[in-house]
Amino acid sequence: MEATLTIPAWRTNLATIGALMARAKNELIRVPGAAIPGVLAPTIFFLGLNGVFGALTQLRGFETGAYESFIVPISMLQGAGFTGAAAGVNLARDIEQGWLDRLLVSPAPRWVLLAGTVLAASARALIPATFVLAIALALGASWPGVDGLLITFFMVAAMAAVAACWGSFLALRFKSQSAAPLMQAGMMALILTTTAYAPLALLAGWLQDIARVNPVTQVVEAARQGFVGSVSWAETWPGLLALAGLLAVLGSLALREMRRTAL
Amino acid sequence: MSSWARNARVVRALGMRSVRQTFRRPQLIAPIIVFPTILLAIQTGGASGALELPGFPPVQSFLQFMLAGAMVQSLMLAGNSGGIALAVDIEMGFTDRLFSAPIPRFTIVLGRLAGTAALGLFASFWFLAIGLLFGAEIESGIAGALLAIFLVTAAAMAVGGIGAAIALRTGSASVVQGLFPLVLVVLFLSSAFFPQDLMIEPAKTIARYNPLSLIVEGIREPMISGIEVGDTLYALLAILGIVVLGLILSDRALRHRLRVG
Amino acid sequence: MHDPGHRGAVSFLAMPAIVVEGLERAFDKVLAVQGIDIVVEEGEIYGFLGPNGAGKTTTVRMLTTLLLPTGGRAAVAGHDIVKEARAVRASIGVALQEAALDPLMTGRELIRLQATLQGIPTAEGRRRADSLLERVDLSAAADRRVGGYSGGMKRRLDLAAALVHEPRVLFLDEPTTGLDPVSRKTIWEEVRALNEGGTTVFLTTQYLEEADQLADNVGIIDSGRIVAEGTPESLKAELGNPHIQLQLAQGSIAEAESILAPIGKLLPTKDGSRVLLEVENGAADIPRVVRALDEAGIGVEALELVKPTLDDVFVEKTGYHLEDEIEEKAEQEPVGA
Repeated sequence: MEATLTIPAWRTNLATIGALMARAKNELIRVPGAAIPGVLAPTIFFLGLNGVFGALTQLRGFETGAYESFIVPISMLQGAGFTGAAAGVNLARDIEQGWLDRLLVSPAPRWVLLAGTVLAASARALIPATFVLAIALALGASWPGVDGLLITFFMVAAMAAVAACWGSFLALRFKSQSAAPLMQAGMMALILTTTAYAPLALLAGWLQDIARVNPVTQVVEAARQGFVGSVSWAETWPGLLALAGLLAVLGSLALREMRRTAL
Repeated sequence: MSSWARNARVVRALGMRSVRQTFRRPQLIAPIIVFPTILLAIQTGGASGALELPGFPPVQSFLQFMLAGAMVQSLMLAGNSGGIALAVDIEMGFTDRLFSAPIPRFTIVLGRLAGTAALGLFASFWFLAIGLLFGAEIESGIAGALLAIFLVTAAAMAVGGIGAAIALRTGSASVVQGLFPLVLVVLFLSSAFFPQDLMIEPAKTIARYNPLSLIVEGIREPMISGIEVGDTLYALLAILGIVVLGLILSDRALRHRLRVG
Repeated sequence: MHDPGHRGAVSFLAMPAIVVEGLERAFDKVLAVQGIDIVVEEGEIYGFLGPNGAGKTTTVRMLTTLLLPTGGRAAVAGHDIVKEARAVRASIGVALQEAALDPLMTGRELIRLQATLQGIPTAEGRRRADSLLERVDLSAAADRRVGGYSGGMKRRLDLAAALVHEPRVLFLDEPTTGLDPVSRKTIWEEVRALNEGGTTVFLTTQYLEEADQLADNVGIIDSGRIVAEGTPESLKAELGNPHIQLQLAQGSIAEAESILAPIGKLLPTKDGSRVLLEVENGAADIPRVVRALDEAGIGVEALELVKPTLDDVFVEKTGYHLEDEIEEKAEQEPVGA
């Protein structure tokens, strides 16, 4: 009996993360229409922004004449933000309904429990991203090339992880779904106070200042590069660094709250 | 007491409840005010270069242009929120209490709309304050401000009527909540965020026929130039149209609800 | 190395399963648990009895490492609940008051997930899941979503999930609250069977009958303090005296009480139509009581000699009936809460 129960901790941890991710997908598959809001919101924003602000490309300073190409990465990242925040809302619901207690009472390490939520969000964010991309390409956005596409999808998945850490932190802090607007608004502000709508030079002074220091601007530029020009390492590494930094900070906050849940 | 006075009392009581409910839960008001404010800030900062575009109406600042759109966004969300609140009442069984009382059915809806109107009023003051704080002037002065407040409040009630109709028909808060993306769609397909003539097709054409555009222009014109009787009348007509639609839908939904229980 | 609750070492057998010393929990300025001491021996069923708000759930949450104590200490399965929390979690099974189930999962998926959380290899986890589902009579419903289960089915599933890793100590927080009598009996049978297999059970309940039926030892908690502890029999025997229950004519209660006060000790009643009198000599005191009432012209409609129950112990220690508390609190809670 003992031999069959003794398996290396890393395998147990991986199995637990996989099981939690499998559970997370139930909401998409088993609740009719659950995937729709997550896909619909960024798509509407993409089409809306394109229809409303498309004429901005006439201004000097725009690297592309097609606004679709300029904002499609924003919509994909917005989808990631939305998905990650939704993961936070789900965690809050799990806390309210007592499900988290089941996980906390198990011997699984706290970081493993958090990783399950975060990685599930990362994977899930690829769905709205793919949908928005398909629509954008149909409307005439430039093809970013395979390398550009891979970089964009990576940025999207990582951004969803960042958003999930943020959402989880708030969920564990407030233990209530009423923190949902804060989760969504926080991500919205983070992603849009960048070169989301226009290149840096064309932003209003105060927004320029914020965009300069906002790490997500680097993520936006990295995700966008294939759509507006060519892909280079110089354009990519700042985005990776920004994501690593955000994950480190928000991930630590979330993990600390997870550990403090018994207080 | 005349029946008119009696009904007014009922509407007042239900209205007070509706207003109290609305403002007692800040986490419900926040999205209605905070999201549009964030969006206002970001869009003003991000797209202000649009002032350079040929054909952009003469304005003091991009913020001055955008204020009307932010107000309209807020009132749309307020209408959606009022519908959600009514749906929650239905789910909780509170409306059964009202239906079994000797009051005309329309007072139930009117009372609910009072809460929505209060939110609309709050939103109009909020955005006017934001505008003044950040240097946007109202070209037609106090009169223009009062007109904007009136139009926003009336439009909030009108949209609230649609929200109430959907709530009565479906009885489900999550269905009403799920219509939030539709609110965004209607907003984007109007002149809320950009001059109609500078939009890209097909959004441009849709915006031309979208009644929301008329409401937006009615609120915006007094801010960026002066009060135009034509714009104001069109805005009022659009609001009236939505009110009529809301009334018809609410009436049908109420009858349906009372039939099927 | 993962060794959930293996009971091989002799030293484990000698050590109590649960030791609590001066355990305290404060929320802001309110002391929900005020320095309690408990010892639960290996293989025992310990019943923790008290009304809502007494501190039962708070105590359980501390012992299952879901809440940190603000004072005192405790060890479960030989591990300190604060310093060795993970080891505690590996040794315990928990079925909480709010059955922490996911309505979108099937019963089988839930138990398999629990097995994974406990570090049980996949194949073994599946085998145990199947066997446990059969044991709690949920095989037929195993592949249906939990959202469609009845209350009794959910509790049985929760219990099965708590057992997947064969824990040394099982915590059951109000396992039969809200269940019909048949489902309640099923859970009781299962708890007895588990205990016969060697599992220590720490059971919280607001049902006297449950504590009486199942527990080897009972601790009564009220307002955060343990007010009595012992076997059900010893607690009842401590009270010693049986009481006479009298059903009297309308309007005569007050007069009867004044007449009977010198004969025995008057106890609080649940309603205003009876008199409860604790007497030293049991049945021998009945004639005296009847004579005194007869001389005063008070009609006796019914008379019964009642031996002490746990409720009497509760009344003795706290001054009120446990069942009253439950009814009162049920009335205070809004419908659908």
